[in-house]
Amino acid sequence: MNINKSLKNILIITLAALLMTAFMPPVFAQKKLQKSPGGYHGELDFPLSWSRYYSYAEWTKIMQDIQKKYPHLADIASIGKSRMGRKQYLITITAKSTGKDTDKPAMWVDGAVHGNEVNGISCSLYLMWYLLTRYDYDTYVYNLVNDCTFYILPGLNVDANESYVVYPNTPHNPREPFRPEDNDGDGLYDEDRTEDVDGDGELSTMYSEDPKGEYKLSADKRQFVRIEDKREKCQRFRRIGSEGYDNDGDGMINEDDIGGPDPNRNYPSGWNLQAGNPYPMSEPCTRNAFEFMLKHKNIFAGFHFHNTGRLIMFVSPPRKDSQQSAFEQYQAQERFEQYLEEKRQDNKYAQAFDIQVRSGYEEDMNAQAKIVNMGARILKNYRPTPTGGSGQAQASTYDMLGAYAYLIELWGSPAFAADENDDGRVSDEELLKWIDIELTGEGWVRPHKCKHPDLGEIWIGGTRKKHMSRTPPAQYIKMEAEKNARFVMYCASQFPKVEIEEITITPATDELYWVEAAVKNDRVYPTASDRALKLKRAVKDKITVSSSKNITIINAPKGQVRTEPTNSQAIIEIVTGKGAEFRLNGQQTLRFCALVKLNGSSGWVEFKVKSQHGGMIQKRVEIKATH
Amino acid sequence: MKHKSTQHFKLVLALLICLVLISATDSTAQKVPISFNDYHGYTSTVKYIKQITQAYPNITKLLEIGKSNMGRPLYVLVISNMETGTTIDSYVKLRNMRREGVKNVTPMQTYQGKPGHWICASTHGNEFTGTEVCLYTIDKLVSGYNSDSEITRLIDNKTFYICPVVNPDGLYNSIERGIPQRYNSMKQDNDGDGKINEDGGDDLNRDGHITQFRYKDPKGRYVIDETDPRLMVRLGKDKETKKQRYSVVGEDKDNDGDGKRGEDSERGIDLNRNFPEGWFKDDGMAGGSGDYPTSSPEAQAIAEFFTNHRNILMAQFYHTSGGFTFRPMGTAPHPKLHPKDVAVFDLIMGKKYLEIIGEEVPEAWEKPELLDKFKEELQKTSKNKYAAMRGYELPRGWRVSYDEIRDRRYSYGMATDWAYMQYGIYSITTELWNPSRNIKDFPQFEGKDVRLKQMRALLKYQDEKYGGKLFLPWEKYKHPELGEGEIGGWIPKYYSNNALPGEPLLDVCEKHWQFELFRAGLMPEIEISDVKTHVLYTTNKAGNSKGKYKIIEITAKIENKGKLATHLARGAQLAGNREDVVWLIGDRDKLTFLQGTPFQKLGVLEGVQKIPGYVEKSKPISQESQSRQRWSRYYRPQYYPRESSPQQQRPEPQTLKQTGPKRTVKWLVAMEGSTPLKIVVTSQKGGTKAKNVIIQ
Repeated sequence: MNINKSLKNILIITLAALLMTAFMPPVFAQKKLQKSPGGYHGELDFPLSWSRYYSYAEWTKIMQDIQKKYPHLADIASIGKSRMGRKQYLITITAKSTGKDTDKPAMWVDGAVHGNEVNGISCSLYLMWYLLTRYDYDTYVYNLVNDCTFYILPGLNVDANESYVVYPNTPHNPREPFRPEDNDGDGLYDEDRTEDVDGDGELSTMYSEDPKGEYKLSADKRQFVRIEDKREKCQRFRRIGSEGYDNDGDGMINEDDIGGPDPNRNYPSGWNLQAGNPYPMSEPCTRNAFEFMLKHKNIFAGFHFHNTGRLIMFVSPPRKDSQQSAFEQYQAQERFEQYLEEKRQDNKYAQAFDIQVRSGYEEDMNAQAKIVNMGARILKNYRPTPTGGSGQAQASTYDMLGAYAYLIELWGSPAFAADENDDGRVSDEELLKWIDIELTGEGWVRPHKCKHPDLGEIWIGGTRKKHMSRTPPAQYIKMEAEKNARFVMYCASQFPKVEIEEITITPATDELYWVEAAVKNDRVYPTASDRALKLKRAVKDKITVSSSKNITIINAPKGQVRTEPTNSQAIIEIVTGKGAEFRLNGQQTLRFCALVKLNGSSGWVEFKVKSQHGGMIQKRVEIKATH
Repeated sequence: MKHKSTQHFKLVLALLICLVLISATDSTAQKVPISFNDYHGYTSTVKYIKQITQAYPNITKLLEIGKSNMGRPLYVLVISNMETGTTIDSYVKLRNMRREGVKNVTPMQTYQGKPGHWICASTHGNEFTGTEVCLYTIDKLVSGYNSDSEITRLIDNKTFYICPVVNPDGLYNSIERGIPQRYNSMKQDNDGDGKINEDGGDDLNRDGHITQFRYKDPKGRYVIDETDPRLMVRLGKDKETKKQRYSVVGEDKDNDGDGKRGEDSERGIDLNRNFPEGWFKDDGMAGGSGDYPTSSPEAQAIAEFFTNHRNILMAQFYHTSGGFTFRPMGTAPHPKLHPKDVAVFDLIMGKKYLEIIGEEVPEAWEKPELLDKFKEELQKTSKNKYAAMRGYELPRGWRVSYDEIRDRRYSYGMATDWAYMQYGIYSITTELWNPSRNIKDFPQFEGKDVRLKQMRALLKYQDEKYGGKLFLPWEKYKHPELGEGEIGGWIPKYYSNNALPGEPLLDVCEKHWQFELFRAGLMPEIEISDVKTHVLYTTNKAGNSKGKYKIIEITAKIENKGKLATHLARGAQLAGNREDVVWLIGDRDKLTFLQGTPFQKLGVLEGVQKIPGYVEKSKPISQESQSRQRWSRYYRPQYYPRESSPQQQRPEPQTLKQTGPKRTVKWLVAMEGSTPLKIVVTSQKGGTKAKNVIIQ
């Protein structure tokens, strides 16, 4: 009976194994490869509109649905709950057939740490959708998803995100997590919030008629404008502020709106009390995100999406204290600007940074400069800006995790569509025309009268609607999302990858040979950041050498040799039985050699390189006796 | 089943009768007996504070403020009369609230409307003397209520937050398991073998204690003491000796067979290096412990509690040992403190502390009027530039952990500095226990080998007073890896770090209870008095068809009768803190404010005690609060929207320019018909008080 059962089990297992091999799709083949830029790339495999903003319920459902469609590429998990109990869903994207997510270098992407900057949610979702739908069609995406992991947290500050999308709001609120705070110092917390007084679904500005007021209606009656000539005879208005009631009866309106500390001043690095109170990582939504990042040592770089201003803010390494005099600095600045100007004659996107970093951080600065140069080219009208940190997420990503970090300020002026006189700016007139023409009149709240329980009859209006300044109108979501996805993907495509380029054998004496391997990293990023090395978070790359039994690896003294006596450049690191540790810079080749003794006529030597982020590679070479 | 429940019922009944009898016979009696003949550890401490909450429901409340990594709750026992006290949110009626209705604000508790005094212990799990002092303090407070007038007054008007165990896992391991553990516990794989916490200390000889193992080792650093052969004496580095050398290690074996002992224990991080003040080094690298400040659940629980209990004005973080107190700072030099705070710390609290522990008070503290003279002298004589700034060297019993001579910080991310710097609290750390001070007639040693002589005396003391039960004689044991040797030595929990139970411990408890009682007595006490109304005008024919209305002038005096101000000098201006304010509250539809805003800012109400050694030189502190601002918009979009932010151009509440402990407030209101009026003063750390306005 027992024997029977176990035999049966074995049979089942064997069968299952057979079946699995029979039906397993070949790992390295793209199912529906599309080579034509005019062809179909999978966008209708999972149809999704990019012409609107989604609520929390909607976008989390999109995540769930897309994960169900691409279970071999994606997993969803909640990394914790927000203050108000919303789950924070994170999607992990990587081809499971090529390895576990934690075994590949990873890109972290989060959106909308500021509640109102929900454009970041759209961009994160777009990246997710792009990677998943194009995997089978697009070789570039295919390789990325095979080689890297993407951890995408579309909305970080979910409570405020939800409020911003679903309820009437100005472009600026709610911004912070919902920790109660006493903004006006009256002893009460979050007691005087904004309200949609006229019930039109928009949070505009209130004015009251006042003979001493400083405002009047514009000629076209679309807005309230300042009265320049004080003697002018007209109907005058006083500006009260955003729509709302005096909830606590203290004579002030909206003076204690919902929300506590700025979540992007609440991260540990460079944290200070005044900006990031009450204490670092005090908010569940940011703490959960940072804890996840801390535990995932495979995270190599991170993107944090914000609005607005079209900036690529990158965390620059710690700077050197300048020894120069003010005049010297001025001269250096002049020289630098001239240099940049010359550079831009050939390439208007060219970037350079006049940053002197502390010793040991040169490679980080080098890599960042190259990356954001490409960023400026991909994003076109975005400006790279170095940034440090006063409790900002990107600063902690770099300073504390050693991962390259970028804060993207999405969207900005609609000059590309509205600037008629080509001065690079959008004037009031141009803006209104843009609204009338490109947005067919949507997007403006016209001044109108309204009854207010505390103020009597008032006027409301003369402002743009929500999603008209900080976050773009829906029709531009895809435009911003697409190029930003491309930049994130470019960065991931530059994650380090170690290769053994060639192995050469040089006879030394008698039966001794130098076996030399060239190890290279073609990518822009080094195999570990300078910062990660300083933090001791990085595992160094390691090369080891092994051989067939008849070959002995000589434990030559540690150090460098020159196998070509005439070539002073050819300095080579010696590898002994213990192996050697190193770090490959971006676009660098290092040479290693082992001194081996061959007993007999032939044998093999194998080099193996293991890199935390750059992968693992091994290469074997045959040696035949030359004497 | 039935039988069991009747038995249960009988038991409960008996207990109830007992309770009734006790409370009937003597309201002052100790309802929950406690002794200090041994340490309570985590389990008995939790049991005790739960019993206290059941026995004294009107003056206590137990809060669970977090959980350790091993899932053990952190408790705070609130001691305050739950029927007194009030908070501002119970008076201000909110209306026309945003429809979205996010419920992120919880109603305040009455005890949050009183000045608060925080006392905690066992942040380091092996420094548990403070837990005993906490329990002693709890006992004194609850059993003194209604019998001792001073204690009764304190419990009615102030709030004590007592957290006897900050580090439940560390304490549990130190006492219940007998493995001294300063740090918290963490589920982690220290040795990277894929297993979690698989190699900690072991009770090799199964005697119920994890002590020490000594073995002969030519490279060992210990020799047997010639006076008392039970003691092992550690040799200085490179010191020659002809005696047999020994190695002394913890009682432990290699549990996972990797050749190392105790390399993957529960030991986590140092909680008193996990707070946000001075956690980073100057170069931006981590200086404190943990992945980031407040990364541990324990430190976060405390940070969160302090954030939500802004009434905390006093704080004591008990540690051991040494028998002295650290006041801030340890992470930064002297000038970081406001001179007024220094004066309160040193010349008021420090002076009292020295008196209690029996140390000589510095001359400068006795004669603060001569401070300038002392400063001049010290400039010539002292190597300590900060002493010259103050006018005195800090005495042995009351000091800072910052190394003032070498101008070097003590450490990173410490709780006491954090509470002072970031919350504006009179926070101190007392290093409890010093045998030569807390044991009666303990011999005093000086000169060479003080520590060794003290250890000999302590061992002798435990022979005489504890029947030698605290020290296990060395017994032969064959260690699986180290071979022949002996197991024995002090039972770790009694070893030198903590006050010996019984009389010495009681001495520590009594002195420090007295000191905290003194500090509690310094806290502010706000009163509203002289509420006067003066009807200026009455009419039946009001404009705007308002009907019958009166114009009334209302005045009142607000006073802090407590000794100290409602904020430290470093206080009101800190983010999250605020000035004291006063509200005039009535039916909004019937009230129009003609003069004076519905709430007015009072600045900080000073205390009645003159601060010795401090002369007010600059403008009043309340003015500094103007620097408070919101930083939410760090980047202005290139094309900024025309509508400006709601904060602009808004009316501001009236701010009184008065200083000192008293304020006179005034309103002029038009009142339609008649509506009850209330004046409510609310101070974060000074408490909230309300008074009805009776219109004459």
